[in-house]
Amino acid sequence: MCLLRWGVMSVTLFKLSLRGAGRQAKDYLVYFVTVVMAAALLYSFNSLVFSREISVLSQSMEMLPVMILLADLVVVGVFGWLVAYATRFMLLRRSRELGTYLLIGLENRQMARLFFLENLAVGSFALGLGTVLGILLYQVFRAVILALFGMPYHFSFGFSLPAAGLTAVSFALIYLHALRRSRRYIRRVKIHDLIYSDRHNENAAIHTGKWRRRIFSASLVLGAAGTLLLMAGDALLGIIGAACVLLFLFGFFLSFSSGVPAYFDRRPALKYGGQNLLIFRTLTAKLSTMGVLMAVISTIFTATLISEGTGLVFRGLFQGRAAEISCFDLYISVAEEWRNHDAYLDFIEENIPVEKSVLYPVYVSGSSQVVDYLTSCTVYYSLDFDQDPILRYSDYAALRSIAGYRTAELEPGQYLIHCMTYLENPMKQYTGLLTLGDFTLAPGTVYTEHFHQNYIEANGRGYILVVPDEAAKGLAVHHKAYAAKTVQPVSPEQYAALENLHNGIADWTEPQDSITAKANEEAAVASQTALFVFPLYYLALALTMTAATILTIQQLSESEQYKRQFRLLHKLGMDRREMCRALRVQFTFYYAMPAVPSLLIGVPFILNLCKAPEPGVMVGSSSPAAIIGAALGIFFLIYGIYITLAYTGLKRNVLPEAD
Amino acid sequence: MLQVQNIEKYYGNKNNITKALDRVSFDVAAGEFLAIMGASGSGKTTLLNCISTIDTVSAGRILLDGICVEDLSDAELAKFRREKLGFVFQDYNLLDTLTIEENIGLALSLNHTDPKTVQEQVREKARQLGIVEVLEKFPYQVSGGQKQRAACARAMVAGQSLLLADEPTGALDSRSSKNLLEIMELMNRDLKATILMVTHDAYSASYAGRVLFLKDGRVFNELLRRDRNRPVFYHEILDVLAALGGDVSDVI
Repeated sequence: MCLLRWGVMSVTLFKLSLRGAGRQAKDYLVYFVTVVMAAALLYSFNSLVFSREISVLSQSMEMLPVMILLADLVVVGVFGWLVAYATRFMLLRRSRELGTYLLIGLENRQMARLFFLENLAVGSFALGLGTVLGILLYQVFRAVILALFGMPYHFSFGFSLPAAGLTAVSFALIYLHALRRSRRYIRRVKIHDLIYSDRHNENAAIHTGKWRRRIFSASLVLGAAGTLLLMAGDALLGIIGAACVLLFLFGFFLSFSSGVPAYFDRRPALKYGGQNLLIFRTLTAKLSTMGVLMAVISTIFTATLISEGTGLVFRGLFQGRAAEISCFDLYISVAEEWRNHDAYLDFIEENIPVEKSVLYPVYVSGSSQVVDYLTSCTVYYSLDFDQDPILRYSDYAALRSIAGYRTAELEPGQYLIHCMTYLENPMKQYTGLLTLGDFTLAPGTVYTEHFHQNYIEANGRGYILVVPDEAAKGLAVHHKAYAAKTVQPVSPEQYAALENLHNGIADWTEPQDSITAKANEEAAVASQTALFVFPLYYLALALTMTAATILTIQQLSESEQYKRQFRLLHKLGMDRREMCRALRVQFTFYYAMPAVPSLLIGVPFILNLCKAPEPGVMVGSSSPAAIIGAALGIFFLIYGIYITLAYTGLKRNVLPEAD
Repeated sequence: MLQVQNIEKYYGNKNNITKALDRVSFDVAAGEFLAIMGASGSGKTTLLNCISTIDTVSAGRILLDGICVEDLSDAELAKFRREKLGFVFQDYNLLDTLTIEENIGLALSLNHTDPKTVQEQVREKARQLGIVEVLEKFPYQVSGGQKQRAACARAMVAGQSLLLADEPTGALDSRSSKNLLEIMELMNRDLKATILMVTHDAYSASYAGRVLFLKDGRVFNELLRRDRNRPVFYHEILDVLAALGGDVSDVI
């Protein structure tokens, strides 16, 4: 009998849980979708950890699992916070319903179990659905990584059991943490507290209106000062600026609900103009209890922008450097006074089929007129060359042919300039005559193709002057270099053998040889991009989704209040068009408020980060403007999806039907 | 001012039609205080919803200041509501996020009144209704009677020509009810407000100048107060209610 009763009770509880889970997924669809996406992200990134195909692409890719697992830790923490917040939020919203269960005789223990089962059902369903989505998402990541390494991509359906296991463990941690807190709450809560929970006033962090108004004014000053300091570009000032902006974030959001009404109260004409009254009052009502949350969300957005921007800067740095030094299939430079190329050339002759090659000296002019000119008019620094580097025209022509560039003509009485893109403009304006022995040469055409001119001893530092062969006679040799176009890309084994050769003959107290192979550089860029950019983007995605979900849950949970408000406004004669406008403006402010401070911190940070690499690397698609554009684009794309979902949902639910 | 001509209202589908209003006709003159009484389901709230343009009629016409509300577009209806009609509801319908002053000012704001004059107009109306001291407070900080007076102020502040009240004393205690009704009487007498009040409470109706009784969607009877004092009129209303049958239990 007892067993039968327990069975009946369990079935009823199970049914209730299932029904509750279904309703939860429907009412909090945005949250549910985010949890599904969280599972998909976790599974797909975990699949990268366990993929043999990916780890054998390059030796350095063996580090990828470590990087992703580190990111996993942070992501699990972030999603854990989201689930804990949302679970608690839903629990409080359903207080009356849960109170009714207690009223009809359910015990706290049973209700805790009911809630646990319900969330377990939602979590398990999201995990299942997310894993299926993750399998598809993994294919996208796989395609991107293979493309980075220049490998062909073929779709192959695969399910990684270890990845699914790790995802399930992560999910279990996320949910158990959230549900443990809820269970504790439900076990202790009294019927009265649940039934009359809507009568409890929400707590504001700072109570006194006067203090709030002072904090509001002070926070605005701190915000302005912080932004100016961040824009100053100095590291120390930047740190102080970031601290000011953080203080501004918390101060502003905690005091907004007092500061803004005080501002409007002093300006009644502004308050009653247009729809200002409705919009600012709705916002202040919302923010009076959401101050800390808004500041946290704003901080999360800042971290997101910094993650995205840093990822893009790393990508730009790796790509920019590699593009410059991988213009030749194989390139070796040695300091003339220490060694010659014989050992390398012997190895190449025996092991690497070469289509064409050139062995040439890089001279120095004996003067520093161009170095001085560049130092005076642009951001330029030279570590290796205190004199202008010189190249013979015949060697230059051979190098251009090896690199696959069109022929460059040298007019009599002129010298050519080959420089990196960032020096193009000052070089075009340079009019200095070059005197080498009996030759006085005028500047000719400026070329800017990649020419191995960035950070290692090569074809000049940023620029090189190309002179007629006879003019170079008698000049001091700075170093010698070898460049070749190979029949096949240099293999990792061939590259390693060349490096071993170098290690065998190197005297570590002297300047070192430099060996670069296009294939090796491209693989390095692919590995570094995968190692740094993937985890940072993983983090950025998780952070944006979490913060946007919390904002959206908060907004959508008040549908009923909004509905009542708009129903009344409708009766008072506000037409639908005006209501749409009011809702839109309200939305814009609500979603812009945590994003704007993040932009104020994030954008100057990224701009400063772009200045960190040597000049000439962050150009083209990696220029600061492009990086800022891409970082903001990605951020607002994800954010925009959530805003659109929330806006369309709320508009449909709260605005009255047209008359 | 208001002409209700043969209006009918049906709900449901062709298999199950409910007739909420059946050829109802009456006029309301400018400055009149009219009460509409009836039992639950008699059609009084439907009638009020049709007059307030929140609902549409199935047949017949409603004219306010000579304008037929059925002929107005959505935008014109919204304009009509904010310029001509003022509402007082049983549950006050004040916005919790606005102070009492802002709730009253909202009606002016929606009417695109010059923002500089809003505060002044709100204060003037609040003074007339005796709620100046609660203007800075939020609805949850004031009594039910004060909330209802704020609702009255909002319904009148933009110069609306017809005040529609739906069970305005329904949520008030007897003292607050009396207070509110006296204010409505004052608004009608001194401020020349035209009031149409729906109620099932004979005591509230006795403050009106005329009472219309609805039964099963039809006008069943009409009582005019004329020169009689309120207690006498109140008893006459009770008599009609008794004749209506079975609704004395609704009466205080």
